[in-house]
Amino acid sequence: MKFFKSIIPLILAILVTIGWDRSWGTIPPFGKLLSPYHGFWINAEMAGSEEMSEEELKIPGLLKPVKIVYDEMAIPHIFAENDHDLFLAQGYVTAKDRLWQMEFQTHFAGGRIAEIVGEKGLASDQFQRRMGSLYGAEQSFEGMKEDPQAKVALEAYSDGINAYISSLSERELPLEYKLLDYKPEPWTPIKSALFLKNMSFVLASGTDDLKMTNILRQYGREVAEDLFPNYPFEESPIIPAGSPVDFKSVPIPAAPKDFMGLGSAMKTPEKDPNIGSNNWAVSGNKTVSGMPILANDPHLTLSLPSIWYQVQLVAPGVNVYGSTMPGTPNVITGFNKNIAWGVTNVGSDVLDWYQVKFKDASKLEYWHDGQWKKTKLRIETFKIKGKKDFVDTVFFTHHGPVVYLSHEKAFRSNIPVGHALRWIAHEKSQELTTFYRLNRAKNYTDYTEALRYFSAPAQNFVFASNEGDIALWVNGKFPLKSKLQGKYLMDGTDAAADWQGFIPQAHNPHVKNPVRGFVSSANQFSTDPSYPYYLGWQYAPSERGRRINERLSAMSKVTVDSLRGLQNDNMNIRARKLLPLLLRSVKSSDKALGILKSWNLHNSPESMGATIFETWVLNLQAFLWDDEFASNEKVPMNRPSIDRTIHMIEHEPQARWWDNVKTKGQKETMDQIISTSFKATLDTLVKQHGNLGAEWAWYKHKQTGVRHLIPGMDALSRLNIPIGGGGSIVNAATTKTGPSWRFIVELSKTGNPKAFGVYPGGQSGNPGSVHYDDLIDTWAKGELRPLLYLDNANQSSSRIRKTITLSK
Amino acid sequence: MQSNTIRIIILIIVGAIVGLYLPWYAMGIQAGILAFLLRFPSKSAFTTGFISGFLLWGGSAWWLNYSNPSALPLRMATLLPLQGQVSLLYLITALIGGILLGFWAWAGARLR
Repeated sequence: MKFFKSIIPLILAILVTIGWDRSWGTIPPFGKLLSPYHGFWINAEMAGSEEMSEEELKIPGLLKPVKIVYDEMAIPHIFAENDHDLFLAQGYVTAKDRLWQMEFQTHFAGGRIAEIVGEKGLASDQFQRRMGSLYGAEQSFEGMKEDPQAKVALEAYSDGINAYISSLSERELPLEYKLLDYKPEPWTPIKSALFLKNMSFVLASGTDDLKMTNILRQYGREVAEDLFPNYPFEESPIIPAGSPVDFKSVPIPAAPKDFMGLGSAMKTPEKDPNIGSNNWAVSGNKTVSGMPILANDPHLTLSLPSIWYQVQLVAPGVNVYGSTMPGTPNVITGFNKNIAWGVTNVGSDVLDWYQVKFKDASKLEYWHDGQWKKTKLRIETFKIKGKKDFVDTVFFTHHGPVVYLSHEKAFRSNIPVGHALRWIAHEKSQELTTFYRLNRAKNYTDYTEALRYFSAPAQNFVFASNEGDIALWVNGKFPLKSKLQGKYLMDGTDAAADWQGFIPQAHNPHVKNPVRGFVSSANQFSTDPSYPYYLGWQYAPSERGRRINERLSAMSKVTVDSLRGLQNDNMNIRARKLLPLLLRSVKSSDKALGILKSWNLHNSPESMGATIFETWVLNLQAFLWDDEFASNEKVPMNRPSIDRTIHMIEHEPQARWWDNVKTKGQKETMDQIISTSFKATLDTLVKQHGNLGAEWAWYKHKQTGVRHLIPGMDALSRLNIPIGGGGSIVNAATTKTGPSWRFIVELSKTGNPKAFGVYPGGQSGNPGSVHYDDLIDTWAKGELRPLLYLDNANQSSSRIRKTITLSK
Repeated sequence: MQSNTIRIIILIIVGAIVGLYLPWYAMGIQAGILAFLLRFPSKSAFTTGFISGFLLWGGSAWWLNYSNPSALPLRMATLLPLQGQVSLLYLITALIGGILLGFWAWAGARLR
């Protein structure tokens, strides 16, 4: 009894220790996390002082010493004596600021989130792997290794990351590891390939084939083609109509037989469609300085830590500055002394689905081209935190993986079950070589040479050089298709429906020094319909592109600052066209109508007109189309585009679609649908924000936020940012997406380029650092920071705050 | 009373050193070992340990934030969620330290 009594406190002590040493579901390990000697308290980083600091670090594997200087924004400028050391140092400094993000994003890409968060991550992981993310990364890694320079870059970058990881003690781990209670694993070069492949997931995995087939089955081909036309009514393509063609096109394959397909799927959540980008370059004869100016703002999901990390990389043969993606070597968009380049996404159709006919339940054979062919099996093993491993078998036809078998439930509503996936992201590729060469490019020839290696996700590469050239290539690997091939789900048994090779890279749409004096892209159609090849039937809505082209045509005496103004342009040209058409149908004495009528058509942060108009457009689309196109959630369809709706208001006021088929015995007119949707808009807004007033301000309604990568981590996010714009606005800030990196470069014949840039985040991934989110306010105000471009390691600058010397 | 103050000072100093070099729970275990070796009276051992841990954890956290101010405590006080009350975050940190050292000191004293 005495013994028992004396042992009780010990048991309590041990229980408390064990209980606080581990996480319980989402509850973090309190002891470890709150200990002032181990937990989050020591992750706080003091604001940098104005005084210079110097540091020396030993890094195994370096060939020669490397000098790194940090400027006041904590941007590293790396000076190395060879490529190997340059990339090793890039890996090291990037990991120092962004280790958790790099690992988390590649875990996500590789379908390994369940290892961190447990079983709730499994469905997403399985989806990633069934889509072939790991398979694609393996393929692409093989391709990258074939270029010896890319191989050096990948391996040295990886060594640099690992040098940082092995220098960390447990108490020095980034905050998120402490919150989620796990440790970093060693980096491997294939993770860089995974990261790049994930960009295809982000940018080139959009697919409406299933929804289009559902529409085809319900309404027939004529209606489907009428409501979902293959070129917009209003467009201003990237390559101006009439641009010279410098190639003779190869024969286009014959179209496969018409195929109806089974279509259908279960309703599940979908991706944010508002990802797009702007870029342009203005030729010297339109600028004050007489030199070309280039601007770029890629729109991605806004996140903390930011997807971008700025760096300057200097070694023999290279001095490049720009934004990098943590997880991959080289600068992705930026400039050097001679050239500047930027990217926007190409919305071409590089992902198709083939309905598979298996021989029997074993799924070991499938019917294609008149014979039974063997499927290939790939085993995917998933580790799950706190559970036994889950083993999954993926069946591959020659097209690619059967992402979901016909009895399974898809992770997203636009993914068809029982279909094989043919996707450009599964091809062997060499994107790193493109960036390596662009970083070192001196002129237009070097730029075009670099682009030859790029497969996916296809990008509009804008270019300007200090020789005075401006250019834009719509660049990537594009399947050679018959017209509209892959708009709908295809017949997996029909060999004529297969991809029949690729468009020769030299035939990709491109333009150099056009007469109009500028090149631009904003994800709209690459070309006008005279381009000989079929690239896709649906691109991003044309408003941003049209507005940019309209402004650039009108502008003269262009400066960096006037282009900064264009990046922040809030003009709503959709409203300019649509609002007068809508107002014709509305009779109301509501004050809100007065606000709309006197609205200056700018989506500025405080605008109430923008809130009313944008909400109205959403309601109008729903009122007009949802009775026919969203009536059965098991058969997901797309609504026709706004462009199509506007055309219908202008030219087809009697169209059958205006009638709401759910009201029996009544026939609604266009005017009725428009005015009811207006009334519903006001009701919604009053319900959300109270009576018409300051709460209706556009930025308060829109709620742009830069959110931490872990969903729901509001405490580590910046929400409700006062910024205008919107999805169809040049300043493309939406609730969750927006200009993820804005930069403008003015080239110089003799001196250094003048460059300015900002991204909504900060260099440090540590929520305990001032550099975690210190650039967001500058970004929201539409300002840019001057970028420090140093010539050599010994150049002095009042902006340098810290120097680190790395040696072996 | 005098000797209790000394005990508390010992636990805090050894606890800080152990905290710098060993895992977090070693700060508790050291209290247990010291309570055993130095024959802490078992009636007051928990209180002695608790006060030591409370001061050690709360004081160290306060010192860290004082000498190295950042937005992190506010962010953590929002995340945990404590409605952004940093003072509550200090209190919870101190309480966890207190309970840890309290139980271990009690356990050590009782085992003798």
